[in-house]
Formats: sequence, C-alpha cells, structure tokens
Amino acid sequence: MFANYLKTALRSLMRQKNYALINLAGLSFGIAAFILIMLYVQHELKFDDHLSKRDRIFRVVEIQNEPGVGEQHVAITMGPLAQAMLSDFPQVKNAVRLMSAFNVTAVSYGEKSFREDHLYYADPSVIDMFDITFIYGDPATALKEPRSVILSEKTAVKYFGDATKATGSNLLFDKTSFTVTGVMEDQPETTHFFFDMLMPIATAEALPGFEWMKGWGSNSLVTYVELDRTSSAEEVNRGFDDFLKRHVFSQPDGWQYLEMYLQPLNEVYLKSGHIKFQNVSAMGDASMVNVFIVISVLILLIACVNFINISIARSVKRSREVGMRKVLGAGRGSLIVQFISESAIITLASVLIAIGIVELALPELNKMLGTSFSINFVSNPLFNVGLLFLFILISLVSGSYPAFYLSRLHPIAVLRGISGRSGTGKGLLSKFLVVFQFIISVGLLLAVFVIHDQVNFIRNKDLGIQYVNRLYVGFGESGYEKIRVIKQELMQHPAIQQVSGCSYVNGVAGSQGPVFVDDSANTKLYVRYGFVDDDFFSTMDVQFTDGRNFNGLQSGDINRAVIVNQATVNALGWDNALGRKFVFPQSADSSGKAEIIGVVKDYHYYSLRSPIEPAVWIWQPERFKGVVIKYAGSGKKDEIRSFIESRWASVYPGLPVQIMEAPNYLTQNYKGDQTTFTLFIYFTMVSLLLSCLGLFGLTSLLIEQRTRVIGIRKVMGGTVSQITVHLVKDYLLLVFIAGIIALPAGYILLQKQLDEFAYHITINVIHLIVPVVLALLIAFLTIVFKAYKAANANPVIALKYE
Amino acid sequence: MLKTVNLSKIFRTDEVETTALNKVSFEINKGEFVAIMGPSGCGKSTLLNILGLLDNPTEGEYYFLGREVSGFTEKQRANTRKQNIGFVFQNFNLIDELNVYENVELPLIYLGLSSSERKRRVESALEQMQIMHRRKHFPLQLSGGQQQRVAVARAVVANPHLILADEPTGNLDSAHGEEVMNLLASLNQNGTTIIMVTHSQRDAEYAQRIIRLFDGQVINENIKAGKVEPGTL
Repeated sequence: MFANYLKTALRSLMRQKNYALINLAGLSFGIAAFILIMLYVQHELKFDDHLSKRDRIFRVVEIQNEPGVGEQHVAITMGPLAQAMLSDFPQVKNAVRLMSAFNVTAVSYGEKSFREDHLYYADPSVIDMFDITFIYGDPATALKEPRSVILSEKTAVKYFGDATKATGSNLLFDKTSFTVTGVMEDQPETTHFFFDMLMPIATAEALPGFEWMKGWGSNSLVTYVELDRTSSAEEVNRGFDDFLKRHVFSQPDGWQYLEMYLQPLNEVYLKSGHIKFQNVSAMGDASMVNVFIVISVLILLIACVNFINISIARSVKRSREVGMRKVLGAGRGSLIVQFISESAIITLASVLIAIGIVELALPELNKMLGTSFSINFVSNPLFNVGLLFLFILISLVSGSYPAFYLSRLHPIAVLRGISGRSGTGKGLLSKFLVVFQFIISVGLLLAVFVIHDQVNFIRNKDLGIQYVNRLYVGFGESGYEKIRVIKQELMQHPAIQQVSGCSYVNGVAGSQGPVFVDDSANTKLYVRYGFVDDDFFSTMDVQFTDGRNFNGLQSGDINRAVIVNQATVNALGWDNALGRKFVFPQSADSSGKAEIIGVVKDYHYYSLRSPIEPAVWIWQPERFKGVVIKYAGSGKKDEIRSFIESRWASVYPGLPVQIMEAPNYLTQNYKGDQTTFTLFIYFTMVSLLLSCLGLFGLTSLLIEQRTRVIGIRKVMGGTVSQITVHLVKDYLLLVFIAGIIALPAGYILLQKQLDEFAYHITINVIHLIVPVVLALLIAFLTIVFKAYKAANANPVIALKYE
Repeated sequence: MLKTVNLSKIFRTDEVETTALNKVSFEINKGEFVAIMGPSGCGKSTLLNILGLLDNPTEGEYYFLGREVSGFTEKQRANTRKQNIGFVFQNFNLIDELNVYENVELPLIYLGLSSSERKRRVESALEQMQIMHRRKHFPLQLSGGQQQRVAVARAVVANPHLILADEPTGNLDSAHGEEVMNLLASLNQNGTTIIMVTHSQRDAEYAQRIIRLFDGQVINENIKAGKVEPGTL
C-alpha cells in the first residue's frame, strides 16, 4: 500500500515539476532559516550549562537607590561579603569572589608581551564551584600562595609554546613576577564568565591602594554563592535584611538604602539586561531570543502555508484520483495516510536540502555573530530529536489540510467533473492563508524600516561628544611625568592636533560613587566619575554651558577643581553651580573640598539606551588610563599609527601598544543591536521571499484553472489589460488587507521595543505606508507576468482546455 | 440481485429543490444486462450512483444482495462496494500517475490481497482485456479505447457481482466503442450482472432489458431492447 502511495506521490510531483519545485524550495528555505535560528537559540540557552552545580549557584545582586541615579540593580558587591555570607548563612556552602585584574596592563614572558582581557583575581574555592579541570598542577594548592597564577591551556601555549612547560615557570605581570601553578582546560565559549588566567584574590587585597576591598563601602567585585541542596534562594533573600543591618547599615557614612538578592546562575546570561556594572564577558537578551523564536516559527508557518495553499489549488487536479480511489473502496483513513505520506516525502527532501543550505550559510553566520555554530549529529542529540520532531510536525501540518479536505470529497461530484470546488469555502481558506502570510511579511517589513531608522538615528545623533578622527591609546603605568612626555612626543606629528590624558575614551572611568555637597545637610549625590586633563573637552568637542575648563598646570586646578555635567546641576536643583563645593576625600585642598568651575553640556558617555546620569570630572592624573588623540581627517592613518607606535615604544618600553579607533567604542556599544538587526533583515527577506513564492505558486495554479473563464471573457470582448487587471486585482486586495491588519499590531509591538531606548525615533506615516506599498509592489510583480500571459493566450485553446 | 422500492433523490440547495429521482421501483436479477436510458438530466447517473452505493437515496428502499442498504454509512457502503461492484466511466477515470498494471491493481490493494495474488489476478484481467502488452504504459500514453479496456479490466479484477458502466462508449469512436461493448457482453455471458447508463441506442442493443427514465421516473421497462421504437428518444 505504501509503495503505491510513494509511487503516486513521486509521479504526481514529477508531472507538475514547477509546483513541486516551489514546494521544495519554500519548505527547504523555511526549514533552513528555522534551523539556523534554532542553532542560535540553542547557543543562547546553553550558556553556563557546563557547570555541574549551576542549579545551586547564585550571583549576589544589589538594589541601590541613591540620589542622582535612582533605583538600580548592580552586580558588583563588597569585598567582605563572601566571607560574611559563609559565616552568617548556614545555607551557603561555598562563596567565591571574582574581580577583574584591571591593575595589570601587560603580561610578559621573555620577549612575549600581551594585554590580557580575561585575567581575574578569585578565591581558591572558584576551582570547585566552577568545575575547573586541571591538566597540570594541583587544584588543592594552585591558588593558595600569593603571586601564583593558573592559565587556560590556550594561554599556556600562547606564552610557553607548550602547555607542559608552563607549570613552575614565571610570568611577569607588569613588573611583578607570578608563578604558574596550574594549567586548566579552556573555558567553553558559552560561559557568561570567561577567564584565561586566575590569581588568588588575596594577592589583590594585599596590594597598596586596594584597602577598600576590605571595607563595606565599595562595590568592585562579583560574589557567587553555592547553596546546599536543601536550601532555597528565598531563605537567603529573607535573611538579607538582618544581614545588611548587621554589616552595612551600621557602618558610618555607609549605604543608606541597599537591598540584596540572589540571582540564579541560570538567569545571569539571558536575564540581566536591567543590571548595571556587570563584570561579565558575555551578555544575552532573553527577549531577543524570544523574538527570534517567534520569527523562526512564523517563517516555518509561511512555508507550511505555501505548501497547503499549493496543495489546495492542486486539489482540483488531484480530486479525480481521490474520487476514483474512493470508488474503488479507499476509506478516508487510507487517503489521509496517503496525503500525509506525500507531504512527508516532500518534507523529508526539504529537510535534507535545508541541512545543505545551513551548511553553506553557517560560515557566513558564524563570521557575523562571532560564533562557531555547526551541525553536529553526534554531539548534539537535541538537534536530531528537534529535526525529527520538525519533520513530523511539518509533515502533519502541511499534509493535514489536503489530506482531510481531499479525503472528504464526494466521489460522485469529483468524477462527474464538478471537481472539488465545494462552494466558496476552499477559496476563502486560501485567501485567509495568503492574508496571514502577508500580515507576517508586512509586519516584518515595518519592523525593518523602523529599526533601520532607529539604528541610523543612534548612529547620527549628536552625542555631544565627537569620536570621529580620534584615537584612544590605553596605558597601564601612571605617573603624570610620562603622560606629559607622551603628549609632547605625539604632538610632534603634523597631523596630530590634540592629545589629552583621560580615564577612558568617553571621559568617564566606569565607576560610580557618591559626592557630598558642601552644604549644611552634606547632600549626597551618586555620580559617574571622570578623570581628565585640561585638554579633554576641547579634544572631544564637548561644549561648556557655564564656567570654564581646567586651566594649565600652574593654575592649581589639579585635584582641586571640578567640572560637572548639566544632569548633575539638574539633579541637585541648582540655578547656578559655579563656586559651589563638593567634599572630596581625595581633594588636594587641605579642607578636603573641591570647587565647581564649569558645567558641560550633557553628552552621551554610554549608549543611547540609557539616559545621561550626573557626572563629575576631576583632573586627577594618577587615575588616567590612556590618552585620546585628535588628528586631522586628511592625515594618513597608517602613518599616524606607526608614528604613535614608535613614540610609544620610546616612552613606555616593553609595553604593548593598543590603538583603538574612537568610533569603534560606539560601534561596540551597539554591536549587539547591529548584529541582531542584520539577522532580522535576513530573516525578513526570507519570509518575504517565501510569501511571494507561495503567492506565485498559488496564483499560477488558480490562473491556470481559470483559463476557461479568461477565454470566455476574451470572446466577449475583454482586452488583455482588462483581464490582467481583473486577475491581479483580487490578490492585491488581499495583500492590502494584510497590510491594514499588520500595521496597528506592528506599530504597538515596535513602539514597545523603541521605548527601551532612552532616545528613539517616533514611528511616522512613511514607516507605515512604505511596507504596504512595497508588499503590494512585490506581490504585483509576482503575479502580473503570469496573469498577462494567461490573458494573452488564444481563447480557443483556453475554451477547449476544460 | 438488487431491488429498489419508491427510490427518490432530492437535491437541495439554499434556493432550489430538484427532484432527480421520483419513486423509482424496479428489480434486476443476477446475470442480467440492463441499460438505463433517457434524456440528459433525467436522473440516469443519479440512479447509477445510488445503485453503485456511491450515494444514498433521500427516500425509499434499496435492497442489494438481499440487504437493505439505503441507510448505510459511507464506511459500510465503501466496504460493500469494493467487494461487489466494479465501475466503468465515460471518461475512464484512470489515475494518471499510475501505469496500467498499477491502475488495475488498485482495487485489490484496497481489498488487502497479497501481492502474489494481486499479480495473478491483474495479469489475468489484463490478458482478458488484451492489454497485457501495455502494462507498463501510463494512461496518457494510450488511446481512448485502450484506456477504457484498462478501466474495464480494473472493474472486473476483483470479480465483482455487478458492473456499473456510465456511458462507457461516450468518449470513444464507434470501432473502439464496439470493442468495449463486446467486452461487457462477454463478461455478462460469463455471469456478471451489468447495469449500463447510455445515450446510444446501439449500445443499448447489447442489453437484455432497457429501463427508460424521464424526469426522474421510470416510464418504460422493456425486456428486449430491440422492441423499442427508434425515435422515441
């Protein structure tokens, strides 16, 4: 019996090759898009999966609510927290602190010298909590001694050429020697916390200038805790009130408002968008994952709808066969099985083709996302199961309508040539499905246009700071003398116009903390700190709204004068900020005060997603981390770069130089958005293509079936253009209806998405009109050729045909 | 073999009610060759569909092989049909995607016969219809007469008690038509009951009896076709 179905299916496909191709192509691309998206989704969901204790590990998150910044969730905590939690909470079995070794500029071994991005201080218990597997060395002692370091295998090879030689060797961290005590397996790509090198955190605590690590006042490191099997995070969360009272609120000048909670490790990667100061190497976005899941399902639906629609249209031709099979005694069941088997055959072929498409597309996708996705049938059992499930699901979904519809046909009606046109019902379903497809396509098009404009808006928005034609070079060694030397050296080049020392290219240090206003109430305000010299604001074209810039070296502005942004003035409700004073522990003034000398216009030092927070700039050379260099746009970049490199080497010998194009800082900020958007465009194109493919197949079939009507119209005197219009009109109306439905829904969803940006465009009429017009145009082009051809055919042939 | 008592079929749409058959009663015995004649729209095909258990009557009784079947469900009808009735249509209704052999084999598949049994029966039917040499061909590669021979082979392959033929020569030229009629006649001589709807007086000559329908009613039942006055149609 099945052989018979198979034969019929294959031969029926071969007889109508065009439609078989449309079905195959549609389903293949639909499934390929689905697989690609699912690989991405699987990758996102797999984060931190490798940790055996992941269900019991939590990250401590603080809720701060300080004047100036409002309520904020913060993932960095105080130095003593881990130990205090271990002793106060019986539920806490293990606690680990991790802190970026931001004080280390370069690591060297002999001639080799690198800047390391994934270098951390950690408590020794990190080995147990994060399942660190040692290749060489003893896990029990590796992080016991100060100035010891464990390396990932990859890093060990990088420095020593051979991982076996690493243990026992010494590495130079800037000027301090550390002994390699172990080599660990490389961390997987899918970890939110990627480390290449680990050093005992006690080493950092012992460093001069790191005393704050011992107090409860400063947040600078991440604390992870592991609970025992029987305890829940809620129990610990309930205990935080008393805990904070005991340890934090009792401190003089400490936090006034603070809460803590445990965030499950499983949520750290995908559900931390609301958390600031995340010391993580990768961050995902659960809502983006959801958006892509929805898109993939929609694309798959479009592909299935194509299949169903073409099957329905072809049912006129197939109905005679069905009628005859029924006359010969076929039951409904066997017919249903027959048609489902047919769709299964096509689906199977499509799945195979789709895997081929995915293999071809993966290298490009991996390049774009910086991932290494691959189809692996062996090591990814979920993929196999998913594929099988997908195959069954599509076979059933695509096959069910034709199966149930055709098997219901009455054999007499069919055999008498009345064919299966049971009134308007079937036509309505096809139309409904076409409308459905174009709702999706118009909606996605709308999204593309709106997101495109938003991306452009962000790119071109006047940030209040100019990054174009600026370079940033970071250095590790402080010491203002050298900074002054390098500034002078760099200025020698004719194309270099200005050089300024600063804490970072955007002017702020990344840290946030309180300043106290010198008033009777000692008003406290939370601000971003920035450390810059007198050249920074002019170098970066940041405008002053009031007061003055820092004056020269002799003016006494160093550590005594403060420049604030407009947001600070607004937050404090001042009319005039000039002359007011902050109390600054680090101030050079004997009274500990620093005077506000200028106000700069608010500029975006972070992404447009977040509003501009109050910021305070002090000329504090020892906090500088690099220089920004403004050069003439006409200058030769390569030549400027090599000039910088040579001068750098003379001032900072042995320190690898790392030059960053300042605009890249911005691109980095929006890199996630940009990638998402590009993916989004691709998948929108796939969906539009599939919709049109389906429309083409459907209209071709329906027009073929209407040749008799077309013939009659021509005989009655209809012109080619009249008939073409007549044929095209109906379908364009469907696309138009789809547009009318898609726009309000798309508008609401997109508005919600835009609201996530502190600064965003408004959706306008053009955004709404263009997708509909475009969809109409594409649909028109899809069907007009076929319609024209049909209208142009000889009516005699047409009339004979049926 | 079969008997109808006051058989009526009324087609209803939203606005129109059409009486296709109006209290039709007759009986057909085993081994008979009966022609049903009448002008277009007189209800011939409707009657044939009911007799062939493709459709249920609106009213009246229908006894097939001694059982009252007018109230049968679709499933019961399908079961009775595939074991007892073979069909031949004016437009052949062969399945284009299946070749000659496979088309003839189809009823046996639905009967659930083993493949060796099917092979034996199909080959014998094809031999009988002298179309064995075309067994690998597809319907569209055959002439009309050959296609109808395949259709007849398909109708007889399951050894049905009854063959229903709906204008079997309607799409054929006279030579091929005669060929098909001879086939039906010889099947009848071997004991198969045949009921045939036709417009053609010549074809009706092959039958032993003619039932004439007009506006859904039986107006004439002749034992011998030859006795009908030509020109009354």
